[in-house]
Amino acid sequence: MIQVGIIGCGKMADCHAFQIQRITGAEIVAVCDKEPLMARDIAERFRIRDYFSSAEDMLSSAKLDIVHITTPPPSHYTLAKLCIEAGSNVYLEKPFTLNTSEAVRLINLATERNLKIIAGHNAQFTPAMVRMRELVRDGYLGGNPIHMECHYCYDFGDENYAKVLLGDKDHWVRKLPGSLLQNIISHGISKIAEFLVGDNPEVIALCFTSTFLKNIGENDIIDEVRVIIKDENSTTAYFTFSSQIKPVPHQLRLYGRKNSLIVDDDHQILIREDNREYKSYARYFIPPFIYASQNIGNFAKNFKGFLKKEFYTANDFALKTLIESFYLSVSRKEPLPISYREILLTSRIMDAIFQQMGQSINDYRK
Amino acid sequence: MDHDCIIKKSDLILITGANGYIGSRVFKTLIGYGFTRIRCFVRSSRGSSQMQRVGDTSQAEVEFIEGNLLSRDDCLRAVDGVSVIYHLAAGIGKSFPDCFLNSVVTTRNLIESAIQGHNLKRFLNTSSIAVYSNVKIPHGGLLDETCDIDTKFVERCEAYTYGKAKQDEIVLEYGHKNNLPYVIVRPGVVFGPGKAKITDRIGTDTFGVFLHLGLKNRIPLTFVDNCAEAIVLAGLKKGVDGQVFNIIDDDLPTSRDFLKLYKQKVRRFFSIPIPYPVWFCFCALWEKYSQWSEGQLPPVFNRRNCEVYWKRINYSNKKAKELLGWQPKVPMQEALNIFFDYMKDEEDKKK
Repeated sequence: MIQVGIIGCGKMADCHAFQIQRITGAEIVAVCDKEPLMARDIAERFRIRDYFSSAEDMLSSAKLDIVHITTPPPSHYTLAKLCIEAGSNVYLEKPFTLNTSEAVRLINLATERNLKIIAGHNAQFTPAMVRMRELVRDGYLGGNPIHMECHYCYDFGDENYAKVLLGDKDHWVRKLPGSLLQNIISHGISKIAEFLVGDNPEVIALCFTSTFLKNIGENDIIDEVRVIIKDENSTTAYFTFSSQIKPVPHQLRLYGRKNSLIVDDDHQILIREDNREYKSYARYFIPPFIYASQNIGNFAKNFKGFLKKEFYTANDFALKTLIESFYLSVSRKEPLPISYREILLTSRIMDAIFQQMGQSINDYRK
Repeated sequence: MDHDCIIKKSDLILITGANGYIGSRVFKTLIGYGFTRIRCFVRSSRGSSQMQRVGDTSQAEVEFIEGNLLSRDDCLRAVDGVSVIYHLAAGIGKSFPDCFLNSVVTTRNLIESAIQGHNLKRFLNTSSIAVYSNVKIPHGGLLDETCDIDTKFVERCEAYTYGKAKQDEIVLEYGHKNNLPYVIVRPGVVFGPGKAKITDRIGTDTFGVFLHLGLKNRIPLTFVDNCAEAIVLAGLKKGVDGQVFNIIDDDLPTSRDFLKLYKQKVRRFFSIPIPYPVWFCFCALWEKYSQWSEGQLPPVFNRRNCEVYWKRINYSNKKAKELLGWQPKVPMQEALNIFFDYMKDEEDKKK
C-alpha cells in the first residue's frame, strides 16, 4: 500500500483526496495545514488517520511514500525540498515553483536522492488530450507540429475566485511574480511545451490589463496576454490568455505537415482535420458531413465513458489519471507521465512571459 | 428597548460583512435605533458609499475597516474597543474547505481577538435554519430551536450549511470554554430587494424546466428588513446570552401560493409540479447512482436534503417574539409585494 500525505488542506486538497481514495493500493495516512482547524476538518471528512499543523511533524511521524503539496505557490519550493529530504516522492501542484531556478534545484535534488517529483499539470490528461497524444504518436500529424495555437482563458464571472481576488489587495495570487497569470497559465503553456524542441525557445509576450478590469479601478492585475513562441526547430506557437472572451476557451490546435488536430478541452472534443481535397462543390458538402460524424463520435465516446462511470468531469478524470500514472511511475519504476524537460521548459517560457510582463507594467506606469 | 439594552447608544458596535445583503440592513436598523458609533468591517469598501451617506445623515460616527478575518491583525483592529459584535460575514464558496475556512477559521480568529479585550458584552453569531436535521420531525411536525442539528452535511453535499454548523460549534465551544457572551440567530430564507432569486425550496430549474417542489409546504421566509431587526434585537437584549433564535416571519405562504403570485406579478413561465414522494424517490435514486459511480455525479440531490428542504413541516418564531420582543414589522403580504416589484424591475432590466 502506497502511504500518501497531503500538505495544504484547501480546496485543491479536497480534489486530490477524493481522487486518491479512488486509486487501488493507495491510502492517505496524514494531512497537514498550518491552520490546525483546516487539517482536522479534512481528516474528519475523509476519515484520515493523522493530521498535523507542521510539515516537519508530519514527515517525521511516518514514512510517506508520496506527499501531495497543495499549498499556495510561494511555499512550493521550501515544502517540496523538505519532503524530498525526508525521503518522499512529491506531487507538486501547479505552478510548479515561482521560477525556473527553484524548479531546477528541486528536480536535481529529487534525482540525487533517487526520488521523483511531478508538476500538477493535470490538464494534459483529459480524455481528449490523451486521445490527441495517441494520434500524434501514431504519426497522424506527420511528425512534430509545425505550429500550435493554445487558448487557455479564464472567466472573471467565476465569482468564487474573482470576487475574492479582486476584493483582497493582499491576496497571495497578487504577490506571485506573474500574479494572476502565474496561477493559471501553466496548464496552457505545458500543452505547448510538450511539443517544443530544445531548452531555450524565443518568447515574445504582449501583456496588458483588460478594459473590464480598468473600468472597475483594477490596474494591478494583468489579465490579457498574447504570446508568440519559436523553438530551435522553427516550431512556432501562439498562446492566448484572456479573461474577456466568451465562451471561455480551453483549446489546443496542432498544425502538422500531413494533417492537423483540434482539441476542445471544455467539451472534450477531438477533431481530426484530414488533408484531403474534394473537387468542385463536393468540398462544401463532404467535409461538413465528416465533421458532423466526428462530433457524433465524440458524443458517443463521452457518453460511453459516462455510462461506464469512467468519465467524471474532464478535470477530475485528468487529475486521477495523472496521480495514478505518477504512483505507477514511483512504485514500478516506470517513466514519469510528465518529463522533467517539459516541466522546466514550461517554467522557462513562463519566466520569459513574466519578465516581459514586468516591462509592460513599468511602461504603463510611466 | 432602552431599559433592557445591554449597551449605551454611544458604545461601539462592530458589524462584520457590513456591506453584505443582511449586514447593510443591520447597519441601517442600528442607525435607526440611534446608535452613534458603528464600525463596519468589510472585505472591500466598494459599494459602501450608500451606507456612508446613511451614516452621514444620522450624524453617527461610522468607521469602515477593510480587511480579511483570516488575518489576526485585521481581527484585532476590528474588535478594538467594541461592545457588541454582529458577525454576519460568511463563506459563500462552493467547496467544503472554502466554506469552512471563511466561516469557521474566520469566526475563531474574530472570537479569539474579541475575548482578549474586556469590553465585549455580546457576540451575535448568524447561522442558518438549514443546519437543523428534519429526519426525526414527522410530516406536519414543528421545527423550533429545540430540534436536532444535522451532523451529515457531507452526505447532504452542502458546503455552505456545513460551514455554518461548524461555525456554530466554534461559538458554542468558546461559550463554554471562555464564557463568550454569545447569541446565535438562525434566519430562515431571507428574501427581499437585492437578492433576485427564487429559493430552491420553491423549486429548481437545474434540468432546464422549472420543477415546482414543496407544493403545499409553508416556506420559512423572512423579509430582509424583518430579519435585520431580529438580529439587531438579539445583539442588544438583556438576559438572552447563550440563546438560539430561529428567525421566520408570520403568515408564511405555501410554495404553491408563492409561485402563483410570482407568475402573476413578475413573469409567467412553465413549471411542472412534483409531489414530495416522487421527488424523494428521485433524490434516493440520484444518491444511489452517486454512490455506485463513486461520485461521477455528486450527490447534490439526496434524501437528507430532500427532507430538510421539501418535507412539509411547520416553523415556530415564538421564542424570538417572546424573548426578544420581536415582531415582523413588514407584514408578509407587503413584503411579498415589495419583493415581486423588485423582481419585476430586474426582469425588465434583462429585456
